[in-house]
Amino acid sequence: MPEENANQQQAPAPAAGPGPGPRPGGGGPGGRPSGPGGPKRGRRNYVRRKKVCRFCVDKVDFIDYKKADVLGQFVQERGKILPRRMTGTCARHQRWLTVAIKRAQNIALLPFGAEI
Amino acid sequence: MEERIYDLIFICRPDTPEADIDKVVATLEHAATDKQAKIEKTEKWGRKRMAYRVHKLREGYYVYMTIRTTNGELVKELERRLKVSDPVIKYLTVRLDEELKRQAKLKRHRERRAARRPRKAAPTIGGEQASAQS
Repeated sequence: MPEENANQQQAPAPAAGPGPGPRPGGGGPGGRPSGPGGPKRGRRNYVRRKKVCRFCVDKVDFIDYKKADVLGQFVQERGKILPRRMTGTCARHQRWLTVAIKRAQNIALLPFGAEI
Repeated sequence: MEERIYDLIFICRPDTPEADIDKVVATLEHAATDKQAKIEKTEKWGRKRMAYRVHKLREGYYVYMTIRTTNGELVKELERRLKVSDPVIKYLTVRLDEELKRQAKLKRHRERRAARRPRKAAPTIGGEQASAQS
């Protein structure tokens, strides 16, 4: 994969910074011309891992509201449901997950909100 | 009316003697058989810590049962009985048949696709690689 990137860069514009430019939606090199030491600039240094829906990996067709230990992983300490952008859950499973969490809350398996 | 499947969970006070819990279960079973419904299974989860306080109690005795019925009035009756019985502090009934139906459908769909896969295997792997590289 790194080789691929290098090749792509050489073709269009050799003058542009050699940093990890071709990443889509990476913000780009702003207005400032980032010198040859591109990777030094923070936040572009790390490789963002693609998050995968855990329910899709396990091929889950039904999210059980009784499994509080599983549901608890998708809830904040105080009981808030974690958004998809944090857990990587796909839209369909997130939809089922919220229903399951809300049922679990109703039977006191998960907290509604603040700790008593 | 077609057959429906329900989950019923109720929580008793943690200090209730086992006999009283059995009594509650027995009344529910009686009410169910009265309406030609069947209680498929009854599980006692035992004393568990609740996520928040209910009636100033932090623990509760959980009982879980699944019910199969064709009578829609049954749930109303069971909930009424749970409401009036003293040891019960919380209950929840969930209708599950539609979700189980959906689950079965998805499973069937997946199996059918898995059976078909060998023919399509090569192009999908290539496609995945291409998307990973770009």
